[in-house]
Amino acid sequence: MMKYSGYKGKVLAINLTTKKTSSIEITDEFARKYLGGNGFAVRYIFDMVDPRMDAFDATNVVAMMTGPFQGINSPTAGKYYMATKSPLTNGYFDSVSGGFIGAQIKYAGYDGFLITGKADKPTYLFVEDGKVEFRPAEKLWGRLTGETQEMIKEEVGDPNLCVSAIGPAGENLVRYACVITEYRAAGRGGVGAVLGSKKLKAVAVRGSGTNEVADPEAYEAWMQWYKEEAKKVPGLAVGLPTYGTPALVASIGKMLGAMGSYNHKTEFFQNWENISGERLKKEFWDKDTACPACPIACSKVFSAKSGKWKGAISEGPEYETIYSLGSMCGIDDLGAIIKGDSLCDEWGMDTVSYGVAVSFIMEAYEKQLITRENTDGVEFKFGNDDAMIAYIEKTAKREGIGNLIAEGSLRAARVIGGGSERFAIQVKGLEIPGHSARALRGMSLGYATATRGGSHHDPRPTGEYAGASDRKAVEGKAAWVIGTQQMTTIGDSLVNCHFLERLLGFTLTQKWVDMINPVTGFGYTLEELTTVAERILDLERSFNVRTGIRRKDDTLPRRFLEEPIPEGPSQGMHTDEPTLNRMLDEFYVIKGWDPKTGIPTKEKLIRMGLEDVADRLAKEGISC
Amino acid sequence: MSVVVAQEKKPLIRFDIKKCAFCKICELSCSKYHYKKFGDSISRITIIRKGPLMFKCHICTRCEKRFCITACPTKALSYKGGNIVVDPKLCNSCGDCVKACPFHGIRLHPETKLPLICDLCDGDPSCVKDCPKGALSLVWLPEVRK
Ligand code: SF4
Ligand code: SF4
Ligand code: SF4
Repeated sequence: MMKYSGYKGKVLAINLTTKKTSSIEITDEFARKYLGGNGFAVRYIFDMVDPRMDAFDATNVVAMMTGPFQGINSPTAGKYYMATKSPLTNGYFDSVSGGFIGAQIKYAGYDGFLITGKADKPTYLFVEDGKVEFRPAEKLWGRLTGETQEMIKEEVGDPNLCVSAIGPAGENLVRYACVITEYRAAGRGGVGAVLGSKKLKAVAVRGSGTNEVADPEAYEAWMQWYKEEAKKVPGLAVGLPTYGTPALVASIGKMLGAMGSYNHKTEFFQNWENISGERLKKEFWDKDTACPACPIACSKVFSAKSGKWKGAISEGPEYETIYSLGSMCGIDDLGAIIKGDSLCDEWGMDTVSYGVAVSFIMEAYEKQLITRENTDGVEFKFGNDDAMIAYIEKTAKREGIGNLIAEGSLRAARVIGGGSERFAIQVKGLEIPGHSARALRGMSLGYATATRGGSHHDPRPTGEYAGASDRKAVEGKAAWVIGTQQMTTIGDSLVNCHFLERLLGFTLTQKWVDMINPVTGFGYTLEELTTVAERILDLERSFNVRTGIRRKDDTLPRRFLEEPIPEGPSQGMHTDEPTLNRMLDEFYVIKGWDPKTGIPTKEKLIRMGLEDVADRLAKEGISC
Repeated sequence: MSVVVAQEKKPLIRFDIKKCAFCKICELSCSKYHYKKFGDSISRITIIRKGPLMFKCHICTRCEKRFCITACPTKALSYKGGNIVVDPKLCNSCGDCVKACPFHGIRLHPETKLPLICDLCDGDPSCVKDCPKGALSLVWLPEVRK
């Protein structure tokens, strides 16, 4: 029995090659040191995976983790966490998704799974309480994510079963293939492709157990506090429940002029009104949906009631997808965006990377770096919604130029050449989402330094939108970015939604501590919690430096460094190389990373209680 | 012969499919109220989703036919004060009531193996209070009696 609550005290290691499982104990000390989700996964992956191996090697590990909050009714706890070495960035990569499967892992008696090896035939895992079955999945192979989930529910005979599945994109190793649970995605970085390389089609989990909190009275008091306080936060009380994230089209696209369009040739989309959240709600809305345990219910089912794409229906699109499939590709038909959103989910790929890779191809086509001969005669022009839709399936199947789109924009640029890398909108291989690296100084530095590369869930843009940090300032930005990265790391370790930031703070605050202690019983101070976050981030960085990542990789696409935003409310803004370097210098110093190389210093690692990591780096000759 | 007894009313937890967001807070609320723990396997209400818009609520409807009472071989179930009540001394955990209920309103507790049936939480339904979308409500309908 563990002293702390929110844990089951064991993680199940599952080897697909040998079809054997073994249980790894979670000790009190380990839980306190690494918290859960993100912290647990990075510790195991650092210990188990050789970072120099290919992501598709059988020895790669996929962690499917929970934190202490899964299975309880704390707002936004209805999530689960996945991590692996990414086939897109080659670095440590994690992806958080909504889904009751996180709770079921707890109810089944585990804090998470570590999946390794490679099955000889398509397989799915069925975990029920203490029991694990390797089930044949030949008849599921090639199927879309929706029907895969349905077929497994039917086979098990439980319409309420939680299933996480990959689609054909994962099977065919599309580098940004995702994992779908219900209608939500562990979207980014290609976790689905790694599962595909392991021939693992799905994981289904059901448990009859429970989860409890350490101090029910304090927990109840916190829940009451949440209910009262959340009412006062406009985003949580009105914006997200009413419009969901598409509300951002007006605030970011119109007011700020910071919504990447036409592969970031501009950031002001003239037709923003056509793809706005207001219009989605008025003309396309069917109902609100939520991740489990979430009272915000930011998710919505939308369908096209008329027009060219009449009948298209999807849970979503989120703001990011309106950006990637919409403004980036020059498409202003919400019907097409809804269609594309549902097809990406069904075929099993990340909408952000897909859309941004397509917009990259569109610009290469415009610049005549590729021609109709390369595209099977398709006019790959901005605004061609038929091409954007048709190539989802072709990309999932790696047909024609879909084979190149499946590699992501950086690898596609290297094939196409002609200086196209300049306008491949990615950092470390990960396509940048719809939060401007040019109009938000924090995101310039944030993307450049994030473990995952172009992710808005390592650094967060929200505080700069809200004015909590001046979006133009350079001074003090490094500390701000570090603060937001610490906050998201804790969020990902609890495996909670980052939208809590609007209430609890964009960086770690006592309010975050006050939410965690009643559930776990840790009695953390803010200082200890901050150390937990730094420890996890240093582990991620240490994994990445062992793949060869250095300061030189902490950068932005040339387009962003050299071309200011050409028009609109943020006209003229960008972060040039000297400015980025200035912020980077400051960033490494605060972090305790070597400013020359970007490698965590021995002193810092030891201070974080990571002596073994410091030793490992030294042994491999990486220390500084 | 059945007659409507106008004065007597039966309680019903009404489910609004249009409002429900599939957050399952009702399930966790139910388990917390009765057991001070969180788990859907010990909830007396279950929300099922089939397709983007098709949601179903599984809960005892206090139906007129009381299939569960009829099915019970040990007479462990009875109807009292608007609820199906289980006598734990008589119940042998056969699960016949579970199979008999066409509304999927019963499951067996995974440990005690006794039927779990909505009891309205002493008259103040916890799920109704906690549903953030107002998708659940307690209504009283005229009772049809044999
Ligand atoms: S709490 Fe309300 S909205 Fe949530 S699943 Fe239950 S009925 Fe639906
Ligand atoms: S449990 Fe089912 S059969 Fe029994 S009264 Fe309720 S709805 Fe009717
Ligand atoms: S009224 Fe009470 S017992 Fe019945 S389902 Fe709701 S929470 Fe459970």
